[in-house]
Amino acid sequence: MKDEPMSRAENIRFEVKILDTGEKFSCSASDHLLRAMLALGRKGIPSGCHGGGCGVCKVKVTRGTFTSLVMSRAHVSEEEERDGIVLACRVMPTSDLEVEVVGKLKKAITRPKAFGLV
Amino acid sequence: MGVMRIGHVNLRVLDMDAALGHYMNVMGMKETHRDAAGNVYLKCWDEWDKYSLMLTASDRAGMNHIAYKVEKDADLDVFKKRIEDYGTAVEIVPAGTLFACGRALKFNLPSGHEFYLYAEKEFVGKDVGVTNPAPWPTDKKGIAAHWLDHALLMCELNPEKGINKVQESTDFMMKVFDFHLAEQVVVGPNQDIKAATWLFRTSTPHDLAFVGGPVMGLHHIAFFLDEWNDVLKAADIMAMNNVKVDVTPQRHGITRGYTIYFFDPSGNRNETFAGLGYLAQPDMPTVTWTEDQLWRGIFYHTGEEAGAFTSVYT
Repeated sequence: MKDEPMSRAENIRFEVKILDTGEKFSCSASDHLLRAMLALGRKGIPSGCHGGGCGVCKVKVTRGTFTSLVMSRAHVSEEEERDGIVLACRVMPTSDLEVEVVGKLKKAITRPKAFGLV
Repeated sequence: MGVMRIGHVNLRVLDMDAALGHYMNVMGMKETHRDAAGNVYLKCWDEWDKYSLMLTASDRAGMNHIAYKVEKDADLDVFKKRIEDYGTAVEIVPAGTLFACGRALKFNLPSGHEFYLYAEKEFVGKDVGVTNPAPWPTDKKGIAAHWLDHALLMCELNPEKGINKVQESTDFMMKVFDFHLAEQVVVGPNQDIKAATWLFRTSTPHDLAFVGGPVMGLHHIAFFLDEWNDVLKAADIMAMNNVKVDVTPQRHGITRGYTIYFFDPSGNRNETFAGLGYLAQPDMPTVTWTEDQLWRGIFYHTGEEAGAFTSVYT
């Protein structure tokens, strides 16, 4: 096998820029965007289940390349995925990235609650 | 006569191997069956029926159905009539429709959640047996939760449009199945909108809970632990296994339980719930939490919204 040793691959880091806030953080090739952002104390992408199930960390990758894990079709359709819309908790960068938070869910979790819970 | 307890939950998972790693190695459940369709059935060491969790591979997370066990087969006939008299559609599905279960009633709660009642499920036994048993099994893994304790279902709540599925589902469970209301959260200008309810049939404060949200879904399934030190160790085990923890060990004001919220690898929220809370009895007065104190009720120490508690569910 001529593959790069895992330890070296894990050390490659890329820069991720959140276009909405201008916030930047670095993310290793073996980590997902959301965990890297939170581990560095950065904010910008809503954080939820970290398993591709809840859909709250939906972003559009506008520049760069990445690999991704399975994510819920209830939140990302095949068409959206083709357009670069993904869940940040399922995405590992293979280059520097620029991402936009997808608006609807961002609003849903920051909207003031009128009746305590909703 | 009557509903005894939560029987099982059927969860959808995005990656079966990852899900089994979580429920077996972290939660400590054991696989008891795998069917031709690839569904996997699991039980906790202190449970005696064949399974309390059914996992189904899917392209989306969430819950397919929830099932409760009634005491006697004849109860199903009584409940079928009561459900029909309430004006809700119900069918009897034959034995085996639910794996390893007898005939069952199938219907939807007013919230839309698919619900089953059954009286019989294949007996397997506790891991420690029934003759001079050890207090816990020596081959336990991970957190080694005792049993599936309860579920919290999110129900559509939109007071501006007059929609309150928390109220409707609560009324349904109380009037049709004799569930008792242990605690409730009331909100709105007149404090008359039920935004969340905790209902019981056992002697603990909740076997089922409803909370209002924008859309229906599964908020969490909870597994029982004995006491506070088990909660601490459970959180340690979650960290060792890189489980995404939503809310670290805390006390609930509501139910008084000791809790951790966390997510399975597909994003379905789990809870470990420890302690009795208190002895719940049918004649107990309902506890009410007002809108200004609702977060004190949910997370007692901080009294504030934590994690992604109401905004994130499957």
